Amino acid sequence: MRPVYLLGVGAHPWGKWPEKTQVALALHAMGAALKDAALDWKDLQGLVAASSRFEGGMGWGLHANEAVQAVAERGIACINVGGACAAGAIAFHTAHMMVASGQYDVMAAMGAERMPKGFIPRPPGSADDISDSDYLRWVTMGATNPAYWAMETRRRMHDFGTSAETLAAASVLMRRNAVHNPNARFRTASTVGEVLASPVVSDPLHLLEICAVSDGAAAVILGTEAQARRAGGPMIQVAASAIATGTFGDPAARIPTVSATPRSGVPHTSEVVSAVRRGWEIAGIGPEDIDLIEIADNTAWHILAWPEFFGFHAPGESDRRLADGEFEIGGSLPINPSGGFLSFGEATTAQALMQVCELGWQLRGQAGGRQVPDARIAISAVLGLGANGGSIVLKR
Amino acid sequence: MTSSAVPVVEGLFEMEAGVPRLNGSRCVGCGAVYFPASSNCRNPECHDPHVAPALIGGRGELYSYTVQNYRPPPLFQMEPWAPYAIGLVDLADGLRVMAMLSVPVEDIHIGMPVRLAVRTLYNTNEGGEVTTHVFVADIGRGAVS
Repeated sequence: MRPVYLLGVGAHPWGKWPEKTQVALALHAMGAALKDAALDWKDLQGLVAASSRFEGGMGWGLHANEAVQAVAERGIACINVGGACAAGAIAFHTAHMMVASGQYDVMAAMGAERMPKGFIPRPPGSADDISDSDYLRWVTMGATNPAYWAMETRRRMHDFGTSAETLAAASVLMRRNAVHNPNARFRTASTVGEVLASPVVSDPLHLLEICAVSDGAAAVILGTEAQARRAGGPMIQVAASAIATGTFGDPAARIPTVSATPRSGVPHTSEVVSAVRRGWEIAGIGPEDIDLIEIADNTAWHILAWPEFFGFHAPGESDRRLADGEFEIGGSLPINPSGGFLSFGEATTAQALMQVCELGWQLRGQAGGRQVPDARIAISAVLGLGANGGSIVLKR
Repeated sequence: MTSSAVPVVEGLFEMEAGVPRLNGSRCVGCGAVYFPASSNCRNPECHDPHVAPALIGGRGELYSYTVQNYRPPPLFQMEPWAPYAIGLVDLADGLRVMAMLSVPVEDIHIGMPVRLAVRTLYNTNEGGEVTTHVFVADIGRGAVS
């Protein structure tokens, strides 16, 4: 395999965009990423789309073919991948492998989503019977997605004494970072008091501790070393791209399942932990080498729990580290300088690619008021429904 | 419950001496328990993976819980609707299972002993009851055996 470099990144700002189609959002992000790479559609040899179920692609979700047909019908390779909220990482992984293999010199990965309002409902196409866990979780108990995270949060409060104020402070940190991010949807600074005064959706999680659903799009252009040198600017290399699925014995009751078979020694959210550790192994790095991390903070709980799962520090330590400012920009482990999912709201398939965009901006020193000083190694971690995990390591 | 009561999903549980047991499966090779029933054993270290139907009981310990304050999407029917608790329960056979809790919110605490029961979710127009499995406080019982 040959080394692969980040040539360009681009996004359509997150928000609610009812007047724009999914493909229009995707093309906006692609245009921005190509411009960033000083390339044109004619330079692309292939496009990978992160597809999900909500819209587009004649029922298949966002399709690379549709984007290409809209702007540049030149017969390039198009691939469409699933993986729910981790689909962006899987699309990145696919594009990365296509360049690394030597067959393609310039590839793009894109994700774009327009989300339905409210709690994410059950997708069509599954049997309405006891064999389908998603059906069971709705009809037998009405378990919404936040309910799953709320139970993890309640357990953390029990195990480690995590306070409501600490959870709120994690949410506040995300908003503080997002103030400086023009692509974030929620860019107003918040306070612990405001978070705790917001409605309790699934006890103990408040509305402002749960990521909303948004519309948005992100795209990444990858290429060879020669392409990166031609583009100029700092050389940002893909040090690792790792994807993984769940491990038997994971203690998490995964959305949308209604049970788990916990076994000792198996990490929680194993699909993400496996991807992160695989990424570190491929990149030849450890937690001490990482200058910033972008994680999928579906809730405030993730800000506390995930760094512990990954092995940055011992279980239960995140509360103190958050209070000491270690997770802030300028701290020892900046978490989500972008503002994270809590400030973006989730545009599922685009989310993991937005993480990569942020890693790119940070490593190039283009992150403005949210810049992590002298960032050289940055990683992402994302979870997708159905036990999909992804992690990308970029280095300057 | 009346005789016209039916589970919200066909085959959700069986009643044994007035006590519900969930319809799941168990691997004959490694003992892993699944709910809903799995057609295969998912344990990669199992050397003799084949599963058989199993009725999953009955008693356990509350691992965690939440109270849902907002009405879920309409696939979930509950009349009259009111905020309610959902819990994760560790059963003695190694399964952690999720269900509604029919316990007053102020009495719910992690580690409490619970047992499976049945509650009515709503009544049909014909007057029949539609039920689901729930966990209730297992009063008078200490730690899970």
